[in-house]
Amino acid sequence: MRRSFPILVCFGFGTIMLAQFFIPSKLSTGAYNEITNWVQIIYAFALIVGVVGLIRYHLSRVSRRQGGWFFNLVTVSSLFMMAFLGFVWGRGDHSPFMWVFNNMMAPMQATVFSLLAFFVASAAYRGFVARNIEAFLLLFSAVMIMFGIASIGNSIPPFSDIANWILMNPSMTARRGIFIGVGLGTIAVSLRVILGVERTYLGKE
Amino acid sequence: MSIWEKAKTIDRRIIFLFMFLGVALPLLIRIGLPVSVTNDVKKVYDYIEGLEPGSIVLVSYDHDTGTLPEMLPMSDAILRHLFRNNIKVIGMALRAEGTGIGRQNIRRSGAEFGKIEGEDFVFLGFRPEITAAILGLGTSFERVFPKDDEGIPIRELPMMKDINNYGDIEMVISITDDDTPVYWVNYANARFKVKVVAGLTAVMATTFFPFIDSGQMVGMVAGLKGAAEYEKLIEKRGRAGRGMDAQSIAHLVMIGFIIIGNIAFIMRKRGK
Amino acid sequence: MKCFFLITSFLTFLFPQAFAFELNVSDQPNDDGTRLAIRWDPLPPDELRPIDPESYLLLRSEESDGEYIQVDIVSSLDPSREKIDEKLTEGQPYFYKLVYSDSAISWESNVAGPVAPEENWYNTARTNVLIGIIITAAFVGWFIILGKKGKSLYLRPIAGLNAMDEAIGRATEMGKPILYSSGRGKMERPASIASMNILGSVAEKVASYGTPLIFPNNDPVVTAVAQEVAREGYTKAGHVDRYDPDNIYFVTDSQFGYAAAVDGIMIRERPATNLFFGTFEAESLILAETGNSIGAIQIAGTDSSIQMAFFIVACDFVLIGEELFAASGYLSGDPQVVGTLKGSDYLKVIIIILILFGAVVGLLNQEWFVNLFLTA
Repeated sequence: MRRSFPILVCFGFGTIMLAQFFIPSKLSTGAYNEITNWVQIIYAFALIVGVVGLIRYHLSRVSRRQGGWFFNLVTVSSLFMMAFLGFVWGRGDHSPFMWVFNNMMAPMQATVFSLLAFFVASAAYRGFVARNIEAFLLLFSAVMIMFGIASIGNSIPPFSDIANWILMNPSMTARRGIFIGVGLGTIAVSLRVILGVERTYLGKE
Repeated sequence: MSIWEKAKTIDRRIIFLFMFLGVALPLLIRIGLPVSVTNDVKKVYDYIEGLEPGSIVLVSYDHDTGTLPEMLPMSDAILRHLFRNNIKVIGMALRAEGTGIGRQNIRRSGAEFGKIEGEDFVFLGFRPEITAAILGLGTSFERVFPKDDEGIPIRELPMMKDINNYGDIEMVISITDDDTPVYWVNYANARFKVKVVAGLTAVMATTFFPFIDSGQMVGMVAGLKGAAEYEKLIEKRGRAGRGMDAQSIAHLVMIGFIIIGNIAFIMRKRGK
Repeated sequence: MKCFFLITSFLTFLFPQAFAFELNVSDQPNDDGTRLAIRWDPLPPDELRPIDPESYLLLRSEESDGEYIQVDIVSSLDPSREKIDEKLTEGQPYFYKLVYSDSAISWESNVAGPVAPEENWYNTARTNVLIGIIITAAFVGWFIILGKKGKSLYLRPIAGLNAMDEAIGRATEMGKPILYSSGRGKMERPASIASMNILGSVAEKVASYGTPLIFPNNDPVVTAVAQEVAREGYTKAGHVDRYDPDNIYFVTDSQFGYAAAVDGIMIRERPATNLFFGTFEAESLILAETGNSIGAIQIAGTDSSIQMAFFIVACDFVLIGEELFAASGYLSGDPQVVGTLKGSDYLKVIIIILILFGAVVGLLNQEWFVNLFLTA
C-alpha cells in the first residue's frame, strides 16, 4: 500500500495533466486550474519542511560542536535575522531587510558568480590544447567565438562572421541533436514515472 | 624543468591575477570600444518599438542576486525602452530573490519617466513553482496573484482592471540567469501563444538560438554585450557599455593564455 | 463627401452583393465555450472610403435589436481583421456589429449573428501532438513489454558510468568521502528523477564499501526524496546502519549560495570523488573547477547542453545528452527501464528520417510538411 498508493496517485495526476492538454472543456480547464494551485501550495509547504530541516541540521552540528560549527551558527543566525528584519520592519525599499539584501547578500552572491570568469580562464588554459585534430577544431572555434563576440573582433567583419557562422551552424546543429536526445529521454522518464516502471524516486520498497 | 614544462603546471593564481587585471583596469581606465548590434537584440528592440502606447508587457525577474551585475544593465535598458514608449509594465518574480530586485528596478525606472505605480506599472511579487505559476497565469493573473507585492488586491489597481490572462498582454520578458525561458516557451508560448523574449546571462545564450530560429521566441538580449547593444539602440549609454570594455579585455586575456598553453604544448612535444 | 456617402448608399441598396461589407461571427473552435471569433472584410467599407477612419467600434448584444455594448476598438490597419471575444456564456446567442460615427457621418455594418459559443471536448489543432505521443508511447510501451518478457536488449557501454566503480573504489582506498550533487533542478524535472535513480545505485555501492556519501541539496523536496532513495540503497546493500541522514541536507535554494556552500564542503572535506548528475546552470564550472583543484575524480551528467561543455573541460567523464536518462537503466540493469531506452532509440531513427525528408521537402519550397508539425 505504501508503494502502490503513490504510484496510483502519480499515474492518476500524470494522465489527467496529459489528457487535459487535448481537452479544452470547462471541466478540464477547472481541473487544470485546481491542480496547478495545489502544486504551488504543496511547494510552499515543502519550503517549510526544507527550512525546518536546515535549522535542525545546523543546530545539531552546533550542539555537538562539530568541525566548523561556528559557520553552522552563522547560517542559522542569518536565517533568523533576515526573518526578524522582514517581519518587524517589512520589506519596503528603505527597510533594514532591503539594506541587508542590497549591501550584503547581493555583493556576496555576485562575488561567487564572478569566480566564473577566473575558473573559465583556468579551465580554458588547461582544456584548450590542440592535442589532435578534434581538439584543434574545438580550440579554433572557441578562440573565434571569444574574439568574434568580444567588442574588438565583433567590429572586424571576417571574425564576427566566422563567429556567427560557428554559432548558428555547427554549434546550433549539435545543440539541436542534443535537445532531441534530451527531449526523448525526458519523455521516456516521464512515461516510466507515469506507468510506475520508474520507482526509485519513491524510496522504500 | 624547462619553462614549457613549468607552463603545464602553472599556478592557477597567476592566471587569476592576469584575469583580475584584465577586468579591473578597463573599469578604471575607460577605453570605449565600439559595440555593434546583433540581430537577436534588434528583433527585441523592433518588436517593442512596434507596440502601441498603452500596451501591456510582463517582465519577470527570474534571477538571483548573484547575477545582478550582468542582469541589471539589461533590465534597466529594456525598462527604459518600455517606459519611454509609454508601454505599461507588469513586474513579477519566479525566484524569491527576484522580488527585491524586480520591485526596486521597476520603481526606479518608472520614477525616471514619471510613471505612477498602479497606473503605469505594477509589481505583483513572487510565486514559487515555475511551471504551475506560468500555467496559472494563462487562465487568470488574479488567481496566481490575488494581491500585488504590497498586499493590494490586484483588481483595485487601475492598470490591472481589464487584465485577465496572457490574452491581454503583448509579450513576456523573462530576465533570467537560468533556463526559465524554456518554461515560458513550453507553457506560455506553446499553450497560450504569448510572445516570449529572454534577457539572459551570456553563458546561457547559446541554449536559446534554436528557439529564436524556430520562432518560439521573439529574440534575446544576452549578457553585458546584449545590454550594451540595447543601450546603443535606445541611445542611452549606461553601465553595460562600461562593462563591455572589461569583458572584451578579459576575453583577450583568455585567448592569450590559450595561445601560451598551446605554444608550451608544441614546445614540450618538440623537446621529447 | 456627404454626396459620395449618399451615392454609395444608393448603389449599395441597388446592388447589395457587390458593395456589401461583411462582418462574420463564428464559434471559436477548440475552447471551453467562452469565445467567439469575429472577422470582417478589409476596412474601410466603400461608403467610408473618402474619410478612411482610423478606428471603428465593435459592439455586442444578446438580442438583434437590443442594447449593444462596446467590445473593442478596431483599428483599420489591423492586418488580422479578427477579434476573439472572450468570457462569454456558453449557449447564449450573441449579435455583433461594427460602427463608425462622427459629426458628419454615421455608419453601421450588417448585424452578424446570432452565434452561441460551444464547449469543445477535443482540441483538433493538437492532433499532431496526440499522434506523436501515441507513437512514442507505443514504442516505449512495446519495449517495456519486451523487457518484462525477459528479452535481452543491448546497451552500448557508457564510459562515464563504467568509471563509477573505479571512482567509488578510489574514494574508499583513500578513506575520503564522495560528494554527490543533483544541481538546481526541482523534483519534477526528469533530470532530477534520473539523478535520484543514479543516487540509488551509488548509495548501494557506497554502503557496501563503507564510504561516506555527502549530498548538499538545493531544493527541499529533492532533499526529502534523496534521503529516502539513499536509505533504500543502504538497505539493499544490507548496511542501513551506515546510513547517516545528516549527510544529505538542504543548504539553500539560492544559486550561488549553493555553489559557495558546495565549494566550501569540497575544500573542507576533500572528497576523492565528485558526482554531478542533474540540472546545472552557471554554477557548474565553479563546482567542477573547485573539484578539479582538489584533485577529485569527477563524473558529470546534465540535461543542459551549455553546462555539458563546462563539465567536459573540468571533469574526467561526462554523460552526453540522454546518457543521463539512460544511466538508471544502465546501472540497475532493470529490463523494463532498458526497454524504454531502446524505444527512444527507435524514435530517434524516425526523427532522423523526418528531418531528412523535411530538408528535401523544404528545399523544394513545400511548406505543407512543416505545417504538419505546427500546434495551436
